[in-house]
Amino acid sequence: MYDRAILHMDLDSFFVSVECLRNASLKGKPLLIGGSGDRGVVASCSYEARRFGIHSAMPMKMARRLCPDALILRGDMDAYSEYSRQVTELISGEAPCFEKASIDEFYLDLSGMDRYFGCYQWGVDLRKRLIREIGLPISMALSVNKTVSKIGTGEAKPNGSKEILKGTEKDFLAPLSTSKMPGIGEAMYKKLSFMGVRTLRVLSEIPPRLLEREFGKTGRVLWERANAFDPTPVQPYSEAKSISHEQTFSQDTLDLRRIRNILLSMVEKLGFDLRQSKKLCSVVTVKIRYADFNTYTRQLRIPYTANDRILLRHVYDLFDKLYERRQMIRLIGVKFSGLVHGHYQINLFDDTEEDMNLLNELDHIRKRWGPHAIGRAVNVDRKKEEDHQTQPSKTQTAVTDPRWAKMVRRWW
Amino acid sequence: MKFSVSSAELLKQIQLAGGAIGTNPVLPILEDFLFQVKGKILTIQSTDLETSVKTEMEVKSDQNGAVAIPAKILIDTLKSLPEQPVTFSVDTATNSIEITSSYGRYRLAGENPGEYPSFPSTVTQDTVKINSGILHDAFQKTLFATSSDELRLAMTGILVQLDFNKIIFVSTDAHKLVKYVFQGVSSDVATQFILPKKTCSLLNNILPPDTEIEISFSKSNAFFSFGHSLLACRLVDAKYPDYNGVIPVDNPNVLTVNRTQLLQSLRRIAIYANKTTNQVALQVDEGSLTITSQDLDFSNEATEQLACTFNGKPMSIAFNGKFLIEMLSVMSTDEISIRLSTPNRAGILTPAEEIKGQDLLMLIMPVLINQGH
Repeated sequence: MYDRAILHMDLDSFFVSVECLRNASLKGKPLLIGGSGDRGVVASCSYEARRFGIHSAMPMKMARRLCPDALILRGDMDAYSEYSRQVTELISGEAPCFEKASIDEFYLDLSGMDRYFGCYQWGVDLRKRLIREIGLPISMALSVNKTVSKIGTGEAKPNGSKEILKGTEKDFLAPLSTSKMPGIGEAMYKKLSFMGVRTLRVLSEIPPRLLEREFGKTGRVLWERANAFDPTPVQPYSEAKSISHEQTFSQDTLDLRRIRNILLSMVEKLGFDLRQSKKLCSVVTVKIRYADFNTYTRQLRIPYTANDRILLRHVYDLFDKLYERRQMIRLIGVKFSGLVHGHYQINLFDDTEEDMNLLNELDHIRKRWGPHAIGRAVNVDRKKEEDHQTQPSKTQTAVTDPRWAKMVRRWW
Repeated sequence: MKFSVSSAELLKQIQLAGGAIGTNPVLPILEDFLFQVKGKILTIQSTDLETSVKTEMEVKSDQNGAVAIPAKILIDTLKSLPEQPVTFSVDTATNSIEITSSYGRYRLAGENPGEYPSFPSTVTQDTVKINSGILHDAFQKTLFATSSDELRLAMTGILVQLDFNKIIFVSTDAHKLVKYVFQGVSSDVATQFILPKKTCSLLNNILPPDTEIEISFSKSNAFFSFGHSLLACRLVDAKYPDYNGVIPVDNPNVLTVNRTQLLQSLRRIAIYANKTTNQVALQVDEGSLTITSQDLDFSNEATEQLACTFNGKPMSIAFNGKFLIEMLSVMSTDEISIRLSTPNRAGILTPAEEIKGQDLLMLIMPVLINQGH
């Protein structure tokens, strides 16, 4: 019997599975999804491709070297969102309490259901139903908290299920590599390995104060998790706290006019999203990554607004303040945060009625014909150029809505 | 220097002057009052470098002199004393002050009166007399609409325009605007100046009711004299935006509604609106006004319907509910009119029935809602 039962479900290589579902001829082939240029990264790859040593977030150039025959697709974010929505809908009809952790990941809180249904059996039935009705492979694991369940799902993949019974969590975690723990990335894994910590058993036996000294607060959290302790609740609904857009150039650039135009189109796009979701933002952030990968951000608090004109002015100001190294730029990004529900308060002196009507009309056209249907003329030529989207991580959902984070630019 | 005075009367005067003392002054001496005794007259001064107050009272004294006294200690002491004569003796060499009451003696350290900022020069160009009732009324109706955005300095104050027999008060923060006109003021000048917001709220507190106030002004300062007191303020040195150009004149859709009913309804509806944006939507139809709000974060929503008279095209328009509440609560008539044009253009609030000699106009900008096509 579980006191607390958390079920984790994860759609296996989600983007690839959706592509296979839409085009059966892709099945069984090494398939990569992501930017196709030299500087793109792999957003998702099929299990066949993984055999060549490819993994997601790997630069596309390297992936192509490892498997020259792999098929590369640009990805269709709208289709992925649609499938994700279908899965969410089905789960929400069944589960008493669930959290959508990212576009393809769910946590379900099944505490208290053991007596009547048997949590594991209930989960297996739900998984079967999902596979039958939607046709996408999905893996799941049931355990006492989020960390153990998520690691369990990783072990159950591909397309499997696993139950880690109460009392066996520590034994389950102990032999696993520290790299399987959510929150331990490449850099931390290296550092831990250097310290001689390769398995979660060793991690759980280290005095927590030592970890705290090395990694700060994260150290203590990791130690707790390695000991199968994780009280984080399943949060049924988390609203997007920010919306952002980034772009990596196909070649590092110093062309400030082009960069300004790109910032303009980002602001137009994000401003549209802001107004469509009936929100106002109060913090604007601009990010620059230079050719040497040094990344700088600068942010500014502003009165609540959703007006492109005001947002653009602040974005340009921030960019001018931030860009001081006179070095080639690799990536730029814009983020709007401090969001609140509401409509833009029209200004008596600065906004003319024509401006407001224009803003409304532009939004109307974008809503009807797509976000890129209309925009400033300076950006018309740029659409023909090749550009790529970097692939943000899948797990940062709490901070950023996955739809924005994984937004893949499409041609119009 | 030595003088004695009734504690209650002194308290009254220093409370009046205390309004000009800021909370975190740039110079330590600005936390003090300047006391000057000359003959039988005690002059009390206070300043925050922008607004200065000077007030006079009679005391028993046989020694002239001056000192700067820490304001907070003095006010607290006098507040805790029952009405009685108190004696101040100041050692002008060390600036140490000794207060004697019937209960005992209190010693505090004063500061050098020579370092106290001097009172602005009262050489002025023009003078106008106005009843304090008008000023009270005008400040009450305009203060709330001033801006606190230091980037647009002009809008942080109240614009006062003198136009021979008219006086016009205007305040705006670019989202709302109030214009209040009084006829029948006897003045032979046509000029305008911007009073800082802080001065206006101070005047609102200290002006005695129903008294003639003499306002005189130069290029940089304005002086308000009443009774034995004189208040000086530095005018806001900025260009006021052309407000007349942005007040629409052709708002054809006129809604007339009971002010108290609308105000009470908005107060209830606002509870259910988002706490940051306070936005409420108004649906105006013939004979009925529907007010709604929602807070998606907490799934709160509210709707109310009011009877009204409406001549024009039915429409939906959304406003910051807080602005509407502020406007309605400073108005005084039973019925008010709201003139609307389109959902993207300013709405105009006026009293439904005219008040003789007064002309009040309040403008509110809506929030941009996506129009369904």
